[in-house]
Amino acid sequence: MTKTFTQDDVVRYVYEETSPEENLLIEDAMMSEPELMTFFLEALELRALMNKIERQPRVSTVQTILNYSKNHPANPPVRLRHS
Amino acid sequence: MEKAQVNDSELISLYIRGNEKAFAKLVQRHKSKLYTTIYLIVKDQYVAEDLMQDTFIKAVDTIKSGKYNEEGKFLPWIIRIAHNLAIDYFRKDKRYPSVVFEDGSSVFNTLEFAEDSVESLQIRQETHEHLRELIQRLPEQQRQVLIMRHYEEMSFQEIADATGVSINTALGRMRYALINLRKQLSKRAPSYDKNIYPR
Repeated sequence: MTKTFTQDDVVRYVYEETSPEENLLIEDAMMSEPELMTFFLEALELRALMNKIERQPRVSTVQTILNYSKNHPANPPVRLRHS
Repeated sequence: MEKAQVNDSELISLYIRGNEKAFAKLVQRHKSKLYTTIYLIVKDQYVAEDLMQDTFIKAVDTIKSGKYNEEGKFLPWIIRIAHNLAIDYFRKDKRYPSVVFEDGSSVFNTLEFAEDSVESLQIRQETHEHLRELIQRLPEQQRQVLIMRHYEEMSFQEIADATGVSINTALGRMRYALINLRKQLSKRAPSYDKNIYPR
């Protein structure tokens, strides 16, 4: 019996959670079902767009983190670190 | 010849041995993803900055005290810490995520598109800003799955386990989130980033 693929399968495909065997079947299904292909293309575009909206914290925030690590009480004394 | 990039595990090993530059490299490598994830949960840039600091402080304490489990991967581990702190923030203040529109966020928006014209840069920034707003305005369950899958890189099975639903429910919420975002974005079709949405 031929398996019918749904948009949920396409979501798994877009997020690379499908097996190589499933990939071939889903790709075949998308080629023969324009609605599934449209959903795939839209999901792919959104994934690409969401990758581009990353924000940056302030430089001072990052510096505070680095300073915390440098001055951490668990650090070995400086003279031991260089021995 | 191009230098091979040192992976996270190697950086952690160096850091455990006292190499602070290795830690700086880890922070630089993951700060953006971590900050974005927290920001999308708490919807406030200042709270997100604080929670990002707390996240790394917790990570530093764990690593420096020798309690870090080197078998796991660094990014999923630290993102999980961030996620828990963000959720704790809401619980402690008895606050729950609500729609908050950004104010002055462009100050921290350092997306770089050096070769773009001023106009296309503006369109991109508007589209990205709009998408951030749309993600924040998704129904809570859809937003949660979307952030966990896309930004926290959890598998759908892991999301299902963490949220106490079936994998089909997690997948369905993700599907609705994508459909909703697409629907809302299409209402602003003329503002689309032409490089992403060629017509």
